[in-house]
Amino acid sequence: MSRLFPLLMLFVLIIFQGINFLFIPNSFEANGFIVTIHGVFIFLIMIALYYDEETSYYSFLYAIISGLVLDIVYSPVIGVYMFSYAVVMYVVHHLRKVLHVNFYVASFVFFLSITLVDVIIYWVYQLIGVTALHLQSYIEQRLLMTLAINYVVFLIQFVLFKRLLARYSFERFEQK
Amino acid sequence: MSFFRRKRLFTILISLIILVGLIGFSLRDREELSSVEEFIQDTVGSFQNVLLRPVYYVRDIVGNIDEMKHVYEENQQLKENLSTYQQKLYEVQELTKENEALQAVLDKTEALTDYQPIQATVIARSPEQWFNQVTINKGKQHGVEKDMAVITASGMIGKIQSSAQFTSTVLLLNGFDRSNRISVNVDLPETDSDAKGFILGYDDAREQLLLEFTDSYEDIALETTVFSSGLGGVFPKGLEIGSIEEVTTDQYGLTQIAYVKLSADIKELNHVIVVDRLLTSIDEVEESGDE
Repeated sequence: MSRLFPLLMLFVLIIFQGINFLFIPNSFEANGFIVTIHGVFIFLIMIALYYDEETSYYSFLYAIISGLVLDIVYSPVIGVYMFSYAVVMYVVHHLRKVLHVNFYVASFVFFLSITLVDVIIYWVYQLIGVTALHLQSYIEQRLLMTLAINYVVFLIQFVLFKRLLARYSFERFEQK
Repeated sequence: MSFFRRKRLFTILISLIILVGLIGFSLRDREELSSVEEFIQDTVGSFQNVLLRPVYYVRDIVGNIDEMKHVYEENQQLKENLSTYQQKLYEVQELTKENEALQAVLDKTEALTDYQPIQATVIARSPEQWFNQVTINKGKQHGVEKDMAVITASGMIGKIQSSAQFTSTVLLLNGFDRSNRISVNVDLPETDSDAKGFILGYDDAREQLLLEFTDSYEDIALETTVFSSGLGGVFPKGLEIGSIEEVTTDQYGLTQIAYVKLSADIKELNHVIVVDRLLTSIDEVEESGDE
């Protein structure tokens, strides 16, 4: 279970990415906000902070796999999510080595990495012509709202998974 | 230490190359998905089909309770409409019979309007709103092919972007651009002929489709319904797309354009119909001739 749990949870979250639009209030779209819920990526942050050891790179590996699956299932362009998830997860993994993890640090890591991921995704999509949004309107219409909504998702996942992940991590790496 | 730095640079370069390669691979105009993509899409799709059912069920119940508030008013309106429909129904029946009889006289069995419907259910929507794509639970095994039109009871909503074995992705009308035009007809009130044109794309700010007429027509009334003409070679004739909201000229004042409001609600999708045109296009005839 300690090995399977993260993968299983990732798969379920990937499936639930397909109904994310149900959780975004209709008034957002009417006001011109474009919101994306990065449920899978938030779980990857949780894995990096509470599951991974300093020497294990599971969060990085899972980031590549789940990014690729998200690309194939939900977008016609392959590689964008995979690249951005992998790069940012690598950064998070290295940040973890210098930071002492508690709730506030986790929130800081969350804001930093979600901003990075979303900006990289926006930047690549703009480069290949999927969106024509300018940087300023991107920040106003998408980035700020996305951060706010995703922070709520992060809080939920923090409450649900933090202890569980820490326990499974202990079972897997320490108990030998 | 310098070796590690070099190695890191090396990794970054490799990952950039992979990124560009994958994007290039997926962006080029391909006819079919690769088998790996099909497998992943079908696996996730079948789990979505099972796991997300209860979620949609709950949403539908909530929606139904919401609708109940307006039931009385709607019922009054519908009763009024019903009386006019009786008359229309009789007319339509007569016309269909007459049409069949005349076609039999002409020995004409195939028409652009003929299509075979494939019922499907929407199982997921892309979390990235820039893509305007949804996944449905029917694929190649059920006869769904690339470029088929997708409609709901109230009108057209998009076309099949790619199909795996058991699931397909649908590109919604608000994601259309110049590379996937629809040839359309607009009914002109005075004359017998129709105004012809193309759907060029979607205006995000107005949330309406952009229609360009091939000719200049003077008497296009607002609120006229826009139908697909079947001449584009992909969609059958007579699929309702929307109604005209505004008629103007383009920015250079040369061509006449119109803004079209969609008939179907593409934000609330549940059950859709994939339209398989019976009349084969010239391309397909040539292909089967080659074999």
